[in-house]
Amino acid sequence: MNKKIYWLAAIVFLFMVIIPFLGIVPIKWQILLHKNPDSFIFWQLRVPRTLLGFVSGSILALSGLVCQNLFKNSLATPEILGISSGASAGAVLALKFNLYIPFFGLGGLVLFSYLGALSSVLFVLLISRMVRNASLYTFLMCGVALNFFYSALIVFFQYLFDYANTFSLLRWLMGGISVVGYHEITLLGTLLLLLLSAIFLFKKEFLLLSAGDHFAQSRGLPVQRFRIYAFLGLTFFVGAVVSICGPIGFVALIVPHISRLWGKNHYGQTVLFSLLLGGGFLVLADCLARTLIAPAEMPVGIITSLFGAPFFLALIIAQLKKAE
Amino acid sequence: MINVVHVSHSLGHKTILHNVDFYLHENDFVLIFGPNGAGKSTLLKLLAGILIAEKGDIFIGPKNILRYAKKELATQVAYLPQFDDFTLPLLVRDILLSARYPYQSLFKRYSRQDYEIVEKTVERFALTDYVERNMQTLSGGERKKVLLASAFIQDVPIILLDEPLNFLDPAGARQVIRMLREMHAMGKTIVLVSHALEYFYPQATKMLALKNGEIQYFGGKKFSPELFRDIYQVSVKRIFVENKEIIYIDE
Repeated sequence: MNKKIYWLAAIVFLFMVIIPFLGIVPIKWQILLHKNPDSFIFWQLRVPRTLLGFVSGSILALSGLVCQNLFKNSLATPEILGISSGASAGAVLALKFNLYIPFFGLGGLVLFSYLGALSSVLFVLLISRMVRNASLYTFLMCGVALNFFYSALIVFFQYLFDYANTFSLLRWLMGGISVVGYHEITLLGTLLLLLLSAIFLFKKEFLLLSAGDHFAQSRGLPVQRFRIYAFLGLTFFVGAVVSICGPIGFVALIVPHISRLWGKNHYGQTVLFSLLLGGGFLVLADCLARTLIAPAEMPVGIITSLFGAPFFLALIIAQLKKAE
Repeated sequence: MINVVHVSHSLGHKTILHNVDFYLHENDFVLIFGPNGAGKSTLLKLLAGILIAEKGDIFIGPKNILRYAKKELATQVAYLPQFDDFTLPLLVRDILLSARYPYQSLFKRYSRQDYEIVEKTVERFALTDYVERNMQTLSGGERKKVLLASAFIQDVPIILLDEPLNFLDPAGARQVIRMLREMHAMGKTIVLVSHALEYFYPQATKMLALKNGEIQYFGGKKFSPELFRDIYQVSVKRIFVENKEIIYIDE
């Protein structure tokens, strides 16, 4: 086993213990077992927030990893294929018309996020059906178009909102993980466990698929059917995270990338690295988001994109240089 | 073993294969050749079950190819595509192990036996240095060797290969040919698409020449300068070295 995993696990754990103590109201550890406002902030606001950050970061990173495997390309992530923006549009629609329908015990937005994400997925699948030999670029182009379309739709709804709503909408769209209590965490945590077990149960299939369609097919995998089911399942996880945290960018794109490098392309290790890195990265980013301009707070999506975009570019350039 | 009955196939409006009809026996080594666009790759994909023939039937063993479950077919036929684009990093070990996929049931991990089969094959074809490497970092020849070894691990009676010598240097080509010869000697049926007549002619037992989607020649190996000229517009000569028939292209 790779020693880096243990180190990373230890570091992430340490961060997660320390981070709830940081903030505008510094928390002293002595008060943790007392009942006072500080311990309320600690147990009901900061700890859940840290946990939610970890869980959603992990889900995002893992779904990015799965998506890359399904499309055999490291650029194919839920955000780039338009799934995240579809989910956002769905959620915005629900916010606008006050449509709250609880779904599998999740909050009201989840159903609409899922439907939004599903619309993107169905569109992508439709294209792959219509166009013979649809290449990855077809899907990426498709995703770009969907992203523009849904962004326009979101802005359109924004104009229909009144002033106060617009602000809260904008904040949600930049991604944020402020929660109260543990409801969302137990739900997303369950989803994370589900996703992890699916990733390990279908290890054989995912590995085959990442080697190419014809390759997988000649080994007896019903490629089309598997990809469609996997894609539909994945949409649910992405939709759930987006409905609770908003579309947080770049986690799904960069984390699997680094994980492959560190995991030396071992399946299990890559998955564990994605889990730890994705979670750790979002927790850290959220800590920065709520402390950098304290007492104000910024959406965590700003931080992940600010750090993620240049990092990603550097990664791509490094790879191209290596290939030369 | 393989029975292709009046198969026609088209892509869009373009006819790729027209009324192709032939029969292969067990342990045949068939060399399929023909100019680019003759339908060779399509024919191989039909035999691999990746494409479904528009007209006609293909039988693998006693059964129509359409009646095979995907996994079941993968216990009969292995297919090495012409282009292996590994756009994601993948370990050689995982590629080799995945050749045992047709024998797995849902949710089960690969068994100790599967790992042993892989280990034995790795030793047999001297791949020990590769196993922990990423497919993307292998040379064309190394990659082909790995894929051929994986066809061996798949433990099928029929192996289909599309241009196995593409992008290979002479050393790589010789290793691939040696592996193929070994598998043929073990009783496997080899169906191979290649322009490299000189390389495979000595080993082949049958030949199938395709042009514009139609069979120009099918039958036992035969030295026919007219046929080669018709297909490739080159003149082919032959010599005998220690009773072995060798052909070469004469400028």
